[in-house]
Amino acid sequence: MKIEDQKLRNIGISAHIDSGKTTLTERILYYTKRIHAIHDVKGKDGVGATMDSMELEKERGITIASAATYCEWRGHEINIIDTPGHVDFTIEVERSLRVLDGAILVLCSVGGVQSQSITVDRQMKRYKVPCIAFINKCDRSGANPFRVISQLRTKLGHNAVAMQIPIGLENETEGVVDLVGMKALYFDGDNGEIVREAEIPQNLLEEAKVKREELIDAASLFSDELTDAILNEAEITSELMYAALRKGTLERKITPVYMGSAYKNKAIQPLLDGVNYLLPCPSEVENVAMDMDKNEEIVTLENDPEKPIVALVFKLEDGQYGQLTYIRVYQGTLAKGSTIVNIRNGKKVKVGRVVRMHAEQMEDVEYLRAGYIGALFGIECSSGDTFTSPGINLTMISMYVPKPVISLAIVPKDNKSQLAMAKALNRFSKEDPTFKTFVDAETNDTIIEGMGELHLDIYVERMRREYGADVTTGKPRVAYRETITQRAEFNYTHKKQTGGAGQFGRIAGYLEPISDAEFIFENKIFGGAIPTQYIPACEKGFKQSMAKGPKLEFPITGVKVVINDGASHAVDSSDMAFQAAARGAFKDAYLRAKPVVHEPIMKVVVETPVEFQGPVMGLLNQRRGMIIGSQDEDVMCVIEAQVPLAEMFGFSTILRSATQGKAQFTMEFAIYRQVPQSIAEKIALEAAENKKSAA
Amino acid sequence: MIKKEMIYRNPLVNLGYENEDILSNGGFGAVLAYAGVGKTALLVQVALNAMLREQPILHVSLNDAVSKVDVWYQELFHNIAANSGVAEVSEYWDKIQPYRFIMTFKVEGFSAPKLEERLTDLLQQNIFKPHMVIIDGFKFDEAGRGQLVQLKELARKYFMSVWFTVHTHRHEPPQDNGLPLSFLHVADLFDVIVQLAAKGDEVYIKSLKGKSTDSTQDSLILDPATMLIKNGK
Repeated sequence: MKIEDQKLRNIGISAHIDSGKTTLTERILYYTKRIHAIHDVKGKDGVGATMDSMELEKERGITIASAATYCEWRGHEINIIDTPGHVDFTIEVERSLRVLDGAILVLCSVGGVQSQSITVDRQMKRYKVPCIAFINKCDRSGANPFRVISQLRTKLGHNAVAMQIPIGLENETEGVVDLVGMKALYFDGDNGEIVREAEIPQNLLEEAKVKREELIDAASLFSDELTDAILNEAEITSELMYAALRKGTLERKITPVYMGSAYKNKAIQPLLDGVNYLLPCPSEVENVAMDMDKNEEIVTLENDPEKPIVALVFKLEDGQYGQLTYIRVYQGTLAKGSTIVNIRNGKKVKVGRVVRMHAEQMEDVEYLRAGYIGALFGIECSSGDTFTSPGINLTMISMYVPKPVISLAIVPKDNKSQLAMAKALNRFSKEDPTFKTFVDAETNDTIIEGMGELHLDIYVERMRREYGADVTTGKPRVAYRETITQRAEFNYTHKKQTGGAGQFGRIAGYLEPISDAEFIFENKIFGGAIPTQYIPACEKGFKQSMAKGPKLEFPITGVKVVINDGASHAVDSSDMAFQAAARGAFKDAYLRAKPVVHEPIMKVVVETPVEFQGPVMGLLNQRRGMIIGSQDEDVMCVIEAQVPLAEMFGFSTILRSATQGKAQFTMEFAIYRQVPQSIAEKIALEAAENKKSAA
Repeated sequence: MIKKEMIYRNPLVNLGYENEDILSNGGFGAVLAYAGVGKTALLVQVALNAMLREQPILHVSLNDAVSKVDVWYQELFHNIAANSGVAEVSEYWDKIQPYRFIMTFKVEGFSAPKLEERLTDLLQQNIFKPHMVIIDGFKFDEAGRGQLVQLKELARKYFMSVWFTVHTHRHEPPQDNGLPLSFLHVADLFDVIVQLAAKGDEVYIKSLKGKSTDSTQDSLILDPATMLIKNGK
C-alpha cells in the first residue's frame, strides 16, 4: 500500500445528534475529493448526505449505522467511521471507538456540551481514544465557541485549548485565525474549497496573541524543548508546537479545539490538518488480544504487516452485493486469496474480494495492511469475530456489549411477512450484538430484545421498510418466577380405570426450598416401593411440573423433591402412570409449600451530571429501587441501584426528560427476589385476566 | 422466612462503652490506625451491628468505589453469619441491605456542604435517613478544623453520629495521650477514639477516649483472617 503507517489515521467522528457531524463528514469527503457534490443531511435534494446510507436515516436526519469510508488529505490516508449520536445506538459508537485510533468530538457552538456529548465522551474515555474537538455551527445565531471550550473543561473535564479563534461569528462567519501559524484563513470558492491565507485582521491581533500564549503554555507541559524555547525566548516554530500538542493529545491530557461551520464550508481543511498533525497513527496505539492457548493471556499486537494476521470484524452490512464485513486489521496483511480462521468457530475461510468503502461505493484493493480498515465480501461471520492466520489462536478482547434492557413480542401479519421477518431478525442479530431475538416456547411469540424503546422501534421500522415485513408489536414483558418457601409433604395416588389397561402409581415424599439450584430430585426409596425402572418417570413428571406453576403459571425454580415411599401395580403401573402421579403429587404439595413470586431485579447504574443526582435518585426510588450508593466523579456522578425490571419500562424516556437527556444508564440482571405482597396480588390478578382472555 | 435471628453485638461495646450506639446524636468517633491495619473493617462491623438493629447507615468513602465498599460489607457479613450459624445468609442480607447507603466522593471534592446537599436529596424524597454516618478516608492532616466543625453541626442538625477512620503515619510518633500530632487540633471534637495497632500476627483495639471509667476491659483483638473481634484481653 502506498501510504506508510505514520501517515495513516483511523478516526471516528463522535457527537451528539444534530451537532452536524454527518454534514462535517460530507464536507471532509468533498474537500478530500472523495465526492464531487455536497448534499444535505435531510435529503432535501433527494440524494441525502453520502454517509447516511439507509433510507430511514435519510428521513430522520440521523445516522443509525456507521458507514466506514476513507479519504486522503495532504499525503495522509484517513479512514473515517461516521458514528450515530443517539443513546440507543451506543453499541455502534462503542464499536467504532474499539477499532479507531483517534476521534473528532463534534460540538455545537450554540448548544455546547450537552446530552450525548457527555455519553460519547465517556465512551471515548473508556476506550482511551485520543481526540481533538471541533466546534461546529459557528454561523448560527448565539454561537459562542469559547463558552463551549469552557464547558469542555468544566463539564467534561478536558484540558481544552483553542487552536483557532473565529473571524466573525453567526452570519458574519468569515474564517479563522490559526494560532499556531499566526495567520488568518479564509475559505473562498463556491464551496469553500480554496483556502486563502492572509494577515490577521488588526481587531483580532491582540486576542490572537493572548490565545496563542495560552496555547503555548498548555503545550509546553508536554515538551521540554518547547519550554526551553519559551525560557530562552527563542522562536517557537509550528513543528515544535505541534509535536508538543500531539504528545499531550495522544496521552489524552490535552484537547486541541478547532472551530468553524461545516454547513457554511468554513474551516474544515484546518481540522483535517489537525487530524494529520495531532491524532495517532496505528503504531502509536497499543492493541491487545487474548491468547486462547495460554488461558487468555494478554498479548500485545504488533502493527507489523509481516506478522500473522489478527483482524476484528466490527460491523456487518447487508448491502446490495451481499454481506459486507467491515474489518480492522491489527497485525499482518489481509490479502486477497489468503486463508484466515474465524477464532469463534474455528472455520477457515479464503479471502475473496477486499474493498475499501466509501459509504455505499467501494473500491477493490489487493490487501489490507496492519492498521487498515476495509471490508470483505462473502465471509460468513458475526460482528465482533476475530480472524487470524491459521496456527494462531488469538482473539481480540471482546467489546463491551451492554445487556438488552427491553423485550417485545412481534407478530408477522402473514406468511410473507414471517419469512421476511426471519430474514431481517437473522441479519439484525448478526449486525448488532445488543439486539437479540428468540421464540418464546410458551406463547410461540417471537421476542426481540434491545437497548431501549427507540432501538427496537428502529429495527421494527427497518423490518417494515427494508424487508417488507408487516409486523405488529406487543407489550414489553417481565420474566417472573415462582418458588416455594417451606417444606410440604405429599402422598399421591394416580389411579385410572377406564377400560383396557389401567393406570396406577403412588408417590410419597416431600418438596423443600433450595437456594442454590433450580431443581433437585432425590430418591430415598428403599425396598422397592416404587420399582427402579419407574424412578426416571417420577423425576420427569416432577420436572415437567416445574415448567409452569399451578396458580400463576410462571416457571418454578428452587425446589428439591425427595421421594421416600410409593406403590406400584404389576399390571397397571407404567412410566406414564408414574409421570402423572408425580405431576399430581407436585400440584398437591406445591400450594401447601407456600409458593411466592420472584421477579428479576436489575442492577441499574445511572451516570448523570451531579446537578441531577437528586431527581435521578427520586426516580429510582419511585420504582421500588434500592439505591446501593452514589459515586461522585467530578462533574458526573454514578448512582448504583437495584430495581425490579417490571418498573424499568419507559425509564430511558423518563430519565432523559428528567435530566435534559444528560444521563445515561445501563442495566443488567442481578438477582431474583420475592415480589412484595401487594405487587404479587396485582400480578396474580393480571395472570388470571390473561388466562381468561386466552380462554 | 428467617428462622434464626442473627445476634451480633457492636464489637466496640466490649471495650466498655455504655450502649450499642456508643455515640449519641451529633457525636464523633474515630478509629486510628496505620494503613492496612483494619480501620474500615472495624467500622463496617460497627455499621453491620447497627444495620442488624435496623438503624440506617450512611457510608461515605473518599477512597474506594461503591462496589469495593459493598464487598467489605458482604465479606464481613458472611463471616459474621458463619459465626452465628445463620443459614439464610442471602435472605438476611436482603433484609438488612436497605439500611445501608454508600456514597463515594473524590477526596478533594468532599466537603460538609456537599454532603449536606446529597443528604438533602435523600431526605427530601424520603429515600434514606441515616442514623449513623461513617466517613472513611477523610484527610485530617490536610483538612482544617473548620471542616470538622461544619460536619459536627451537620451531625447535630440531622441527629446523626459520625465515625471517622483516621490514617496515622509511622513517621509521626504519638503524643503523650497516644494521639498523632496531625489529629490533635480536632481531638476535642471527638467523643470516642479507639486505636488499632498490629503486634505480631494480631491486631489490638485499644480505647483512647470515651470508655466508661469502671470498665475493666483494656483491649480487644481483631482476627486478621476474618477481621472480626476475636476475644477480649
